[in-house]
Amino acid sequence: MRNAPRNGRLGRRTAAVAAAAVSVALAVSGCVSAVDSQPESTPAAGGILQIVQGADISPSTLMSQNNPNFSINRLVFNSLVELDHKTLEPTPELATEWDLSDDGLTLAFTLREGVTFHDGKAFTSADVIGSIQTLLRDDVPSQLKHVAKKITDMVADDDLHVTLTFSQRMSNMFDLFEMMRIVDVDTVDKLLTGEEFNGTGPFKVDTYTPGQGLELTKNEDYWKDGAPLLDGVEITVVRDSQSMLSSLKSGQSDLALDLAPLDASTLASDQQYEVVQSDAFDSTYYLGSNVSVPLLSDNRVRQAIAYSIDRDRVLQQVLGGVGQTTSLPWSPASPAYDESKANFYDYDIAKAKDLLNEASATGASINVYYDAGFAPNVGLAEIVEFNLTEAGLKPNMMPVQAAEFLDKLRSGGFDGLFMTGHGFGQLNPATLVKGAFPYNADKNASGFDNQEYKDLANAVWTGETGDKVATDALNDFLLDQQFVSDIVNTTHTFSISNKVKGLAWTMLDYIDLDQAYFG
Amino acid sequence: MIRYLLRRIPAALLVLFVASVAVFFLLRLAPGDPAATLAGPDASNETVEAIRQQLGLDRPLVIQYLLWLGGILTGNPGESYLLHSPISELISNSLLNTLELASGALILAVVGGGIVGYIMGSSRTSWISSALGLLTSLAVAVPTYVSGVLFILIFAVVNRLLPSGGIGPGLADPAIGLQYLLMPAIVLSLPTGATLARFLSASIRQTIDEDFVQTGIAKGLRRSRLMRAHVIPNALPPVITVLGIQIGQLLGGAIIVETIFAWPGIGQLLLQSVIGRDYLLTQGLLMLAVVVFVMVQIVTDVVDAAMDPRIRLERK
Repeated sequence: MRNAPRNGRLGRRTAAVAAAAVSVALAVSGCVSAVDSQPESTPAAGGILQIVQGADISPSTLMSQNNPNFSINRLVFNSLVELDHKTLEPTPELATEWDLSDDGLTLAFTLREGVTFHDGKAFTSADVIGSIQTLLRDDVPSQLKHVAKKITDMVADDDLHVTLTFSQRMSNMFDLFEMMRIVDVDTVDKLLTGEEFNGTGPFKVDTYTPGQGLELTKNEDYWKDGAPLLDGVEITVVRDSQSMLSSLKSGQSDLALDLAPLDASTLASDQQYEVVQSDAFDSTYYLGSNVSVPLLSDNRVRQAIAYSIDRDRVLQQVLGGVGQTTSLPWSPASPAYDESKANFYDYDIAKAKDLLNEASATGASINVYYDAGFAPNVGLAEIVEFNLTEAGLKPNMMPVQAAEFLDKLRSGGFDGLFMTGHGFGQLNPATLVKGAFPYNADKNASGFDNQEYKDLANAVWTGETGDKVATDALNDFLLDQQFVSDIVNTTHTFSISNKVKGLAWTMLDYIDLDQAYFG
Repeated sequence: MIRYLLRRIPAALLVLFVASVAVFFLLRLAPGDPAATLAGPDASNETVEAIRQQLGLDRPLVIQYLLWLGGILTGNPGESYLLHSPISELISNSLLNTLELASGALILAVVGGGIVGYIMGSSRTSWISSALGLLTSLAVAVPTYVSGVLFILIFAVVNRLLPSGGIGPGLADPAIGLQYLLMPAIVLSLPTGATLARFLSASIRQTIDEDFVQTGIAKGLRRSRLMRAHVIPNALPPVITVLGIQIGQLLGGAIIVETIFAWPGIGQLLLQSVIGRDYLLTQGLLMLAVVVFVMVQIVTDVVDAAMDPRIRLERK
């Protein structure tokens, strides 16, 4: 490590003892260094990129946005289109052209010629239809199923042309075709169980060891000329963030996905590494309220809670300053983002106390649930507990395991407040209010069932993308109702060695190594 | 001896049966749903329900238990919900890794603990005993998640001498594999080795105080012969009992060490299965732990009895 802290160096004697011990080990093991035997980082094309990530991939959730799959989604597979990071307009991937009818009900794709799957099979319109059918399967999750369910007809005009008919216009239609991986219909069942990965992406899965990681090799027949530059990628599951950091700093790996924010911040002073922030800003921490709990059924109490949270402190102390405070779910990239409303709820304890008094809720007890297995949640919980107490509530902090949290979140089973993060603030706004669990207008974790909200969500969904009137109305409603109080909008990070160049990612934060190389 | 061994088998089988019931039903009491975990975030009720049916979780609990027990008895404990692989395969792969780690740690603990314990117990120089006593206390007291991080910092980050984690090529390239093993094995061996050292030194001192040893000293037996022929053989049985217990703790400690060093062993697999509520895999792993524990206890009892006829006679 070039910038190893001087005060971290060993004393002479200790170093000598350590060196002697290691020398004995090296001698015993034949004088070959395991550290030196890491795949070489060559400056031009070639080389094996070593990635560490905190959890194993989850093949059965490949059609949805799920963090552990961020590494393989774009390395092994492709989508029909990718969204431009600034305009959210679709750009060509496996589809080179598309034609959306004026009424928004018919979408005709022209597919890229000469694309093959890793097993050599040609990619055709049948695979597009097969991929949509896979996504629609009951046992296959996807946050954009609500879009796919509106497809009433799929016609393969020929091998390279496919026409889809929809029952309604949808502003987030192309979000689906960015998220949906194109899979080989013949092997999709084996894909969902992790037995066979047959994609069209720049790398082929050589070996997958469940729970441990994957070895990927370059797809020599990749459809993009000159890509990829790397010979391969090795993905290793390292569950502990601190161990991921050690792996990066010891030179064993080149890229760590989503280090815990405070671990990542330790790299800031080290010129050998960079913590790259995704421009998607698709991760927002929030405090949700179960509105069926009597205390939280009062809108004023929910607003008081929103005023009581010190968002700046959360941003700085928990997330290392990565992101921005927010009162709304949108990323700055979203068409619904409104700077004038983004920080509507300032940290204002006096106002919070007034609202609680008005609602006769001062001194009330409330359970606050969080997934204690995720480090930032613990820091967030401490601040929330302090802030709620300051405002005059009596919070009972309830740390639970991830599985319990997820189950309760899905079933709306929290009898109080709950804290976690949500995504989808970076795509077309309809995807959030129709697909993401905390905000889903049809069924959400807060038990917030409100016709006005459903109407507003449907207006955003069926209207034009970025319709200012619809999104303004939606924002005002969300700020008023506060069944979800957003706290900080942050982003996924890629902690990377400076010798790696050309890292890219999609709007869903799937890493793209088409042009990555060692330099 | 065989009769002594056979008398322990019915009790062991009863323990295994009770453990299977406890493992199965207690796990079901824990909140969380494997189908929801598998479905991932934002999954609909329909999706979770479809996955639950696929996994057979919609069947009555007793049926699920009997199917699982039948599978265990016929050598097919099922397939992992999350990893979609046969549990026997997952466990055997991870077990080999854990055994590699635990064996390395055990060898280091027995050799290191034995030498230190002998020196502490037999040394007539009080400062050596005190210094070693302090070091062993420290090794017992410092948790492996602290010593592990320190070792990584010193030997992998500040000085890039050893890999910070992972398992490497293992037996495919023993020279490299050994370097991957070295740090986690040392860290895992520290508390066990120190405990053994402390028990051995106490046992040696106690034995030295026995009349038959004092008689030997009075008769002018050479110290080395006295230690080799009289003290050590009599001091070892209680230490072996402790070693049996320590092996269990060593395997338990492997969970933390494996996580710190990203060592893909049973500990990591168990952690992953518990977090994901992968019932069948968790059940398989816990039952394996119970079987190993029961077997270690039986072996320890048998070795004790073999070394000390009084135990054999007492338990007749």
